[in-house]
Amino acid sequence: MGALCHFLERQGIPTTGISLVREHTEIVRPPRALWVTFELGRPLGIPDDAPFQRRVTRAALDLLARTDGPLIADYPEHIDEPADFSGWACPINLAPSQVDSLEAEIDRLATWYDRAVAALGRTTVGVSGLDMPAAGKLVTEALNGHLPTAQALKEATDDLRAYYLEAASAFPDAGTPATRKKWFWDETKLAAALLALQPRLAASDDPQHKILANLTMIPASERHRLG
Amino acid sequence: MVKRLSDMPEAEARHLQRLECPTYDDTPALAGKPLAGRRVAIISTAGLHKRGDRPFRPGDGSYRVIPAETAANELVMSHISVNFDRTGFQQDLNVVFPIDRLRELVADGEVGSMASVHYSFMGAFPPAAAEPHAQHLAGLLKADKVDAALLVPV
Repeated sequence: MGALCHFLERQGIPTTGISLVREHTEIVRPPRALWVTFELGRPLGIPDDAPFQRRVTRAALDLLARTDGPLIADYPEHIDEPADFSGWACPINLAPSQVDSLEAEIDRLATWYDRAVAALGRTTVGVSGLDMPAAGKLVTEALNGHLPTAQALKEATDDLRAYYLEAASAFPDAGTPATRKKWFWDETKLAAALLALQPRLAASDDPQHKILANLTMIPASERHRLG
Repeated sequence: MVKRLSDMPEAEARHLQRLECPTYDDTPALAGKPLAGRRVAIISTAGLHKRGDRPFRPGDGSYRVIPAETAANELVMSHISVNFDRTGFQQDLNVVFPIDRLRELVADGEVGSMASVHYSFMGAFPPAAAEPHAQHLAGLLKADKVDAALLVPV
């Protein structure tokens, strides 16, 4: 983010930006940055809270009046951690032992995904161009030794992950984003498949497979699950 | 609340510390009109694009075009990183790409106008790969009379 500010401002476009990682911004030193303490992935802070988002947007834009950069302004509002529902359990019986295949799991989630799309009015699934059964088939084939290109597998698994988490947001007792992510990694056949695929991708001769295995498939926070 | 890398879970902090973070000579912050007279474009680095556009790939320093009238349901995210929350984006586009907030600020007269086109990069780019694209983008922004860019990371 900060590098782009340098590139654009040097070409005559005044910039301001949000910073999520202060340590990075302190090194890159863009002309203007508003540092926020929000979770990575949520630079405007709180979903569906328009007044909050608007205050952040306005604070970042207000920095345009300043010419004393490089500067980092600290945004004064913070967000408390969401309540911990550690006892939360997925109310839908999706435990891996309850479905015999990834395909069955994907199929069972379809009705919840449809409800989520109806409630949200949109979906973020659709990078790969595959429908979800086809994306699941790609993962199953990979597990069976037929590795597709890293890009195809990345797009399919990212779509599946979005499909699962959007579906879970429509469960009757949906918990929090954190508990839904825990459900995904603890209980789903898809997560088990990703974890099983990781060493096979890491052992591939294709450097793109290695990138997928080592960086872009299993979050850093979940890598402790790898054997 | 995340304040510093030292407050983050160790695995995530380690990952962030490994990212390439170049230093640059200071870039003078340009003076300009009051906000109420500015035309603002959003430049996201969340790897956003319209469904059907070319997804981002590792090392990709190029950008995708997001016309202002793009419906929220048309936008997907193909950022290569899996180390940030995507559920916020799934719930509300504006928590990543504050297009409706900018539209409101324009409607209320706090911001002069909104660019006709916004843009997204994919933030994991090597800076050298993005620089020529950013230079080209600056020309496009000027052609759209944009005189302020709001950069939003993910």
